Amino acid sequence: MARARHLTAPRRARLAEGVCRGPRSGRPLASAARLDYSDYVGGSVSIAAVTGSLLAVPCALAVAIEPAGIRLQGPGATQRILVDGGSECQVVSDAPGIVAVQGGVLRARVPGRAVVEARCAEGLATAAVEVAEVASQVGIGFERDLLSILTTKGCNSSSCHGSPAGQNGFRLSLYGSDPRLDHDMIVRQHDGRRVSLQDPAKSLLLAKPSFELAHGGGQLMTRESDEYRTILEWLRQGAPYGSGGTRLERLEVYPAEAVLAESGTSQPVVVVGRLSDGTTRDMTAEVRFSVDDEAVVRLGEGAVVTAAGTGMTTLLARAMGKAAASQIIVVERQPAVPPGIPEPANLIDTHVFGKLRRVGIEPFPPSDDRTFLRRVYLDAAGILPTREEAASFLASDAQGKRATLIDALLEREEHTTHWLVKFEDWFRNSQYYSQGRTNASFKRWLHDSIREDWPYDRTVREMLTAVGDTTVRPAGNFWHPAIDFMLKTFEVEKAVPTITRLFLGQRIECAQCHNHPLENLTQDDFYGLAAFLARVRVKHGYGQYRRVWYDAREGETEHPVTKRTVAPRFLDGSEPEIAGGTTRRAALADWITRDQRIQFARATVNRVWHEYFQRGIVEPFDDFRSTNRPSHPALLDALARHFIDSGFRFRSLHRLILNSQAYQLAAHAPVRPGGERPLEDALFARYLPRKLPAEVLLDAISQVTGVPEAFRGYPPGTSPKLLVASIGATRFLTTFGHPRRDVMEDRSNAPSLAQALLMMNGDVLAARARAEGFVVERLLESGLSDGQVVDALYARALSRRPDDDERRGIEAYLAEEAAAGRDRRQRLANVLWAVLNTKEFQMNL
Amino acid sequence: MLLSHMRARYSRRDFLRVGGTSIAGVTLPQLLAASPGRSERSCLVFFQSGGVCQHDSFDPKPEAPAGIRGGFETIPTAVPGVRFSELLPRSAANLGRFSVIRSMFSLEAIHEKAKQYAFSGQRPNNAYKHPVYGSVVARERGARNGLPPFVVIPKRDISADAGFLGSAYDPFVAGDPAKEKYSVQDLSLPTGLGLEEARGRAHLLERLDARLEALEKSDVVSSMDHFYQKALDLVSSPQAKRAFDIGSEPDKLRDAYGRTTGGQGALLARRLIEAGVRLVTVFHGGYDTHSDNDKTNSRLYPEFDQAFNTLLEDMDSRGLLSTTLVLAIGEFGRTPEINHSAGRDHWPGVFSIAAAGAGVPGGQVIGSSDRLGAEPDDRPVSIEDLGATVYRKLGIDAHKEYHAAGRPIRINDGGEPIRELFA
Repeated sequence: MARARHLTAPRRARLAEGVCRGPRSGRPLASAARLDYSDYVGGSVSIAAVTGSLLAVPCALAVAIEPAGIRLQGPGATQRILVDGGSECQVVSDAPGIVAVQGGVLRARVPGRAVVEARCAEGLATAAVEVAEVASQVGIGFERDLLSILTTKGCNSSSCHGSPAGQNGFRLSLYGSDPRLDHDMIVRQHDGRRVSLQDPAKSLLLAKPSFELAHGGGQLMTRESDEYRTILEWLRQGAPYGSGGTRLERLEVYPAEAVLAESGTSQPVVVVGRLSDGTTRDMTAEVRFSVDDEAVVRLGEGAVVTAAGTGMTTLLARAMGKAAASQIIVVERQPAVPPGIPEPANLIDTHVFGKLRRVGIEPFPPSDDRTFLRRVYLDAAGILPTREEAASFLASDAQGKRATLIDALLEREEHTTHWLVKFEDWFRNSQYYSQGRTNASFKRWLHDSIREDWPYDRTVREMLTAVGDTTVRPAGNFWHPAIDFMLKTFEVEKAVPTITRLFLGQRIECAQCHNHPLENLTQDDFYGLAAFLARVRVKHGYGQYRRVWYDAREGETEHPVTKRTVAPRFLDGSEPEIAGGTTRRAALADWITRDQRIQFARATVNRVWHEYFQRGIVEPFDDFRSTNRPSHPALLDALARHFIDSGFRFRSLHRLILNSQAYQLAAHAPVRPGGERPLEDALFARYLPRKLPAEVLLDAISQVTGVPEAFRGYPPGTSPKLLVASIGATRFLTTFGHPRRDVMEDRSNAPSLAQALLMMNGDVLAARARAEGFVVERLLESGLSDGQVVDALYARALSRRPDDDERRGIEAYLAEEAAAGRDRRQRLANVLWAVLNTKEFQMNL
Repeated sequence: MLLSHMRARYSRRDFLRVGGTSIAGVTLPQLLAASPGRSERSCLVFFQSGGVCQHDSFDPKPEAPAGIRGGFETIPTAVPGVRFSELLPRSAANLGRFSVIRSMFSLEAIHEKAKQYAFSGQRPNNAYKHPVYGSVVARERGARNGLPPFVVIPKRDISADAGFLGSAYDPFVAGDPAKEKYSVQDLSLPTGLGLEEARGRAHLLERLDARLEALEKSDVVSSMDHFYQKALDLVSSPQAKRAFDIGSEPDKLRDAYGRTTGGQGALLARRLIEAGVRLVTVFHGGYDTHSDNDKTNSRLYPEFDQAFNTLLEDMDSRGLLSTTLVLAIGEFGRTPEINHSAGRDHWPGVFSIAAAGAGVPGGQVIGSSDRLGAEPDDRPVSIEDLGATVYRKLGIDAHKEYHAAGRPIRINDGGEPIRELFA
């Protein structure tokens, strides 16, 4: 049976983002979207009346008692609760002899069951509460809990106690490779002076790293840190090796999402721990809270956060190696008039606008036709519209002309080649890995997968199970980045993180060397997954240029610490049934694309969303964690559902996104500059301007100047997107962020000094201005006036006319230059230079 | 005038808004923000690209069998009892100015990875690409005198970039100063374009940019703007022009360095450090002698000997050596055993490096290798130790953490500063 662990699946994704209420100023707002990410369990449902244009949207629960599913640990146990969405509530128990309610705290009297009811102005909510027979203690073990602290703090690294000599007689195995020995060293060696079970806080094991005693390694933890407390608790329990008894399985923090209006508003927080014996424990006072951005909220005394300034941040609660996160949004005082929300075009808008309405942010206005035109050409096809295309679109007054254009663009070959580059980034198609011989066939294969819109689950499955000669069976190129360059062997450690990041949106690299400090992600998980690839082999033939992938009959993965053979095990803890005639890889492919299809779809749609919105719904877009909440959980699931229902087809997803109002919003408005309020950008209240990717910029320059780029060995006019050996093909691409694809690193889109110099002085523009067919030359030959030439250049580069100020500036410039004796061609070439150097040209807006 | 106008405009923006969302949580641009009034150290790395042969340089093994000791004799040095290969006569005489470590080792045997390791003090891994020293210095210290903080000569090396810090901290590429008509790529105006005309069109650009700048306040726009301004400054700055103008050096000095990429590179590096660049890496290539080791080395090592020693002397006479850490290093050593092609292959087991300046005492030989030159015998020094040394010398807290790939990452993880290099 699969234990759902870090792949947190919302079990009850019944409701869309709450849109019933906006923030009410003056008092704390409780969580609105509380079905969410952290395995929301239970709660009663009552649908409140909805007003406004979003009638169609199901409303979030009006009132609910949180946390739900409380099972108190025997008589005397208590649990703080919150009533979400309610004000002036009266909370009563139907059996006060079993569970009493006092000032927002449930108190267990005797074992049994009770129902607690909250009666609020907004409605009723009930919650079933159980009192268990006895209290249980959460056990902390050396191997599971302490080792990960020693490793993440660097104590057992080669430069500290992990070195062969140790430090001052205290020696640990390198990265915890021998936990038994380490336990013995800590608990028993040196007469056990490293630990004091009588007075745990006096133990050297705590006094040294907290620097209460001088420590050569410096201060590694404070007395308040979770690590310190965990070690202390472990010592109190007698410093056992294993961890018998009850385990803390999960932390939950409530409210899971809160919107606070105005600075100064406070919100109490409640943390519940879910234990392996099925009971719950109020851990509000036991966790260590931290806030990502203290400019948004501050932590107060007694588990209360107080709004400090507008923005969105994460509240993290940590204890005993577990963590839980809550998303907190602080908005300005609610405007008297609710924000104007455009009519939703599709499900994306319902969610995005619903959230904006709830936090009181007005979306930017819809983009005008010219802006939209240039934007959608660049985003969907990686090219600029021609003047003719622009004219026909702008002149049309057909209903739905944007949708028509989107459909047409998605069918163009340029759409395929534009996305091909992204796919090559994802799958790291690089001449370095295939010696320049088979990455062309991989490129063609990826190209076809986009053009023909193959179901992505099938494409992924083909890659994951690929066998054979990669010149003939291109999907096998997927594995090439995992070949050790020197040894020419397949390195399983390189393949595992690639697979989890690409297809599950999870970063598992940390777990290669140590258990993840916050997530339930262990080294065992890493190697359990690696075991699926233990039999993958590659052969090299014909001067090493040919590579043939196959599955060996035998081969196992060895755990680097225990040195034991690891059986294949999925990340959710379940084990595969591998029938005869099938391979471990096939089982992994099935698990990802079938059993985990919701997460697979989420990870994929989030990647695509990130391409269009510059920010994932989970951000970073391939870092899904329980401590990294999506900004719009229900939207993410709705998109994933759409993707699955469409048969994992990308084009349908592109169409959905491009047709949304959210995508079509303006980046800024005349009276409302963009980029001043981070919350607007974080919640997709506008289109986020971005620099054009290297290949798109170079194509655009060729297109505007009329002078194509000539790559050696390719016909003139070949787009850089179609280069087979694109890495290092031109300095331009490298300078503008074309990646080497050697590690799983995102393409850098950062501006740089080298980029500015290249655009200003480099050959990319200077040589074009001298070349045959240069646009200024041709425009002059056709007898246009200066003003007409300028209009033409603006239309080509920016898909718009110069405004009055620009026109005046250009006229003044041309006059000055004429007075200085510069010839007309040179003057206008300089105007084009200036236009191509504008940020507007180099960006999509 | 345009420039004064531009300066006025940008001085208002010295407090560029931070708090953006560039990758790795790194916000732009502390990069070029000057921090005046502090005398700060610089670093010059003379990189022997391909991997230096310990036997043919600072750690000869005259007692080893012929198939290991190689074809070169040994010579005495300024330090009694210490012998170098005969290929390095000037280094031998000059040892009072620098120290040699004979017990460096690496853990990587592939050029790309070993270079990345040597340049960053952190072993390459699958999770992220660590920034190299120069990029960290650029980020931690910013620019001086309007010059880029991190420069490489002659060309960009894929193993020496900003990694997860992003391209804003990538090195500025200076080109090959040994070339007949040397000029820095894109730093000079295109042929036929006068400075007056260039300023005119830059002025127009500024006016055309105004519209978007009024509407868009995001980091991407302000940092693009920032780099354009820096680019303009560089192009029109006499200091920058002068710094890169290697032609203004007397022919005699240029000859003394040697008219090679390594020699002229070292000279240009000195000029750049003098002008305010914080870290310069000079790549001197050709050390990867898989075949005909002796033939290559009898040409190449004297080139290094000449460039490196002229550099030390030149910097010393200008008072630059006391504030500049100078390293001569390759990514690994070479196999003790000579192969069938009379070459030596990659050998991370042990190799030698040289260090001078910034308080490094001269005349020391630190550590030793075994009798074959195969492994450290005494005082093994790791790449991490070297990293810790570089950062200590430059006054950068190596324990500082960046955040990338969802985890905290120390500037230099592990490693102890090499105490012998601190007087």
